[in-house]
Amino acid sequence: MNRLEEILLESKDISEFMVDLAYSSLIYDNEEIAEEVVFMAERMEGLSTRIQELAVEIGTSKPEEIARIVVAIRLQASIMSIAEAAKSIADVVLRGLGKHPVLALSIKESETTISLAKIEEGSVLSGKTFQETRLSTQCGMFVIAIKRDREYIFGPGRNTKMEAGDIMIARGPEEGVAYFKDLADGTEKDLSI
Amino acid sequence: MTDPEDYTNLDRIEMTVRELLTEMKDTSEVMVDLAYASLMYNSEDMAEKVTELEKEMDDLKYAIRFKVLMSSRTKQDAKQLSGLLQVASAADKISDAAADIVDLLSLPLEKRPFVSAMLHESGEKIRATRIRPESSMVGYTIGKLGVEASTGCRIIALKSRQGWIYDPEDDVKIRAGDDIIIRGTEDGYIQLMEYAAGRKPWEFPEVSEDEEETTPQEEAASINDKEEESE
Repeated sequence: MNRLEEILLESKDISEFMVDLAYSSLIYDNEEIAEEVVFMAERMEGLSTRIQELAVEIGTSKPEEIARIVVAIRLQASIMSIAEAAKSIADVVLRGLGKHPVLALSIKESETTISLAKIEEGSVLSGKTFQETRLSTQCGMFVIAIKRDREYIFGPGRNTKMEAGDIMIARGPEEGVAYFKDLADGTEKDLSI
Repeated sequence: MTDPEDYTNLDRIEMTVRELLTEMKDTSEVMVDLAYASLMYNSEDMAEKVTELEKEMDDLKYAIRFKVLMSSRTKQDAKQLSGLLQVASAADKISDAAADIVDLLSLPLEKRPFVSAMLHESGEKIRATRIRPESSMVGYTIGKLGVEASTGCRIIALKSRQGWIYDPEDDVKIRAGDDIIIRGTEDGYIQLMEYAAGRKPWEFPEVSEDEEETTPQEEAASINDKEEESE
């Protein structure tokens, strides 16, 4: 993948993640999660600008690439629309307009929910990979992203290691949430339930 | 609407606001998945389904506006319902973006070879796999299996002998030889592959208060659970 494709892919991952986070900010009427969506929207702006710069650069030096660049730019425009939509959902929460009970109910009706959990020191997950812990099999929660310091790891692989301090964002059934959170904060040490 | 007095011809008007919003959220998400999948697999069929769903979204959008406006009685109602309408229009915006993505299919294939390769690297995976005859998923509906709850993967399309079904409902039965296109995390996808190939028996979600009886597969799953550790 070239640089343009890498940034495009990153925007795509962030946009999908923003939608997931935005809906979960509604479910929990949680301003903190909503703020995170807004933060990511700012980052998306930066990526979008970078793509435009790269497009001009490539287009100037390699005119034969222009057709491909048009595809990339159009895709980026759609990705940005999705990100903006996510931001407008988060905005509802930040304005205090997300309290209508129907909102949380209609979103919760989906089979799965989104949950966030921070890995504390002493958690059985700390220092282990997804494969080693078989986390998804154990609690039914699938980690879609990890926030480490200020950075995100999207779609962690089986060999990705979890570290104390990581915030895991996972999708799964409501029933799996409690065990998932307990494993992360260290109150549950037993990984073999 | 041609006749402003007659709202009964508005599609989906029988649905509640809650049902409408759930439907809009789910439809918009599946549209995005299908849109990316259509680019990955260069599928006009999938693109058509996205366009079709886009029309459905329009019906849903008008229906929810109508319902919300009708149910607003006080200033407090109006305030909270405005948030609800905003979420509905965000879902609509997402569906518009999905429709724009499938428009890229009309561009010549040689101009977008990188798109498919790039999407393969995505954090959320879209992948295709086949249901083997020995898979314990065979003969069960998507709903009974609880595919999304068990694997975190959503089946976005299914190809049976009768042809493609896009965004299959819970009552669609999985049959041997079906091809499924799914969206989920790598971990979930790998699990689903094991089930589809029959290398691992399906683990049914726990059914607590319901009167459903235990299937032999459920028993097998709990017995086999221990053996996997040694792999």
